[in-house]
Amino acid sequence: MTGLPLNIDWQQILLHLFNFTILFGALYILLYKPVKNFMDKREAHYADMDSRAEKALADAESSKASYEEKERNLDEEIRERKSSLTKEIDAERERRLEAARGEAEKIISNARGEADREKKEIIESAQKEITEMVTDAMEKLTLEQSASDAFDQFLDAAEEASK
Amino acid sequence: MTKKERKKAIIIFSIIALVFMIGSIIAGGGSGEEESVQVVMRDAVLHDVNKVSLFGIKDVNPALISGFIVSGIMIIFALICRLFVIPRFKLVPGKFQLVLETVVGMFSNMAKENSHINRFLGAYIFAAGSYIFTGTLFELLGVQAITTNGNAISLPAPLADINGAIMMGCLSYLVIMSGGIIGNGIKGIGKTLKDFSLPISMSFRLFGALLSGALVTELVYYFSSMSYGVPVIVGVLFTLLHALIQAYVLTMLTSLFYGEVSEKVVKPPKEKKKRRKKRVTVVKETA
Repeated sequence: MTGLPLNIDWQQILLHLFNFTILFGALYILLYKPVKNFMDKREAHYADMDSRAEKALADAESSKASYEEKERNLDEEIRERKSSLTKEIDAERERRLEAARGEAEKIISNARGEADREKKEIIESAQKEITEMVTDAMEKLTLEQSASDAFDQFLDAAEEASK
Repeated sequence: MTKKERKKAIIIFSIIALVFMIGSIIAGGGSGEEESVQVVMRDAVLHDVNKVSLFGIKDVNPALISGFIVSGIMIIFALICRLFVIPRFKLVPGKFQLVLETVVGMFSNMAKENSHINRFLGAYIFAAGSYIFTGTLFELLGVQAITTNGNAISLPAPLADINGAIMMGCLSYLVIMSGGIIGNGIKGIGKTLKDFSLPISMSFRLFGALLSGALVTELVYYFSSMSYGVPVIVGVLFTLLHALIQAYVLTMLTSLFYGEVSEKVVKPPKEKKKRRKKRVTVVKETA
């Protein structure tokens, strides 16, 4: 083994190899693999975060689009609802007016009936009173006329006698 | 710190450096340099003079001891990280967590970019890149060892030794071949064997690059007069730079070749049928 140039020694080469193999194994187990694993895990973590953020962004975009669509339809919807409500209110007002009119007519007819009835009663009682008054007056008049007639005759006779 | 205090500190620091320089120049002439620069350079390449005893079993190159020490340091570091740091990892990383994740992520992504079969490749280039980088920086520490001759030497980078570089080059080639087998079966072996020069080129590129750095550093340190100021650039910056470059080059080459041989071969449609079709269309056109 000593005949090789440049003092090359196979035994020492193998010793170097043995040394490096141990170093390689130790570095791989103790340093390279754990650091690489950590870096891969972090990369996966951030990739996951990124994909979640992208998904959330896509959801937000779709929500935004749907809200914009809704917003566009909202005016139309408001107009439709307004017109339908106006119609409903008009119908209700008409219905209530009709009811009020009916009620008023009823009240008026009742009042009229009542007034007629009262008028009739008043007239009847007035007629009765008048009749009674006339009767009384006639009676009184009759009595008064007979007395005054006699007095007048007396006065006339007295005047004629004086002449 | 006020300007006066800063000036004072700079003056004191300069005086201390000057004293050390003068001391080393005075002391350097006598006893320190037993070996000539030629011997030092030759030994840095061949490691035939200064050997270190491996637990009394065998005399080995000092780089092998460096390799064991670097591996030990890295394993202890990894163990501490596994026990105390990784369990406290957070989704939003702190500074140290960020460093670890960046290193692991860099090699993992390099493997992903070059091959669809990348789990093992990522782990391999992570280990190889970390080993080359840490090993190269290790020479900056200047850890001392006693040679079998009784000299004290500063331990070199593990891959500045030809045996370590051959190991790394050949192992990388085997990893590339395993990618070929996983991706294309027996054809993958054929594809890998086409680049038969790869283990040699990878080994010697690594060896040459690290050795050149070591030689320059060795040369600079050899002369005590150059030991002031110059090593900051040569020692630290060059070492740091080629630690990064060599780690990147080897891992990049390994992952590129791995990706190439593990890529599934798509069979091209048969030539005969095409020719027949062409003939038919030509006949039709002429008719």
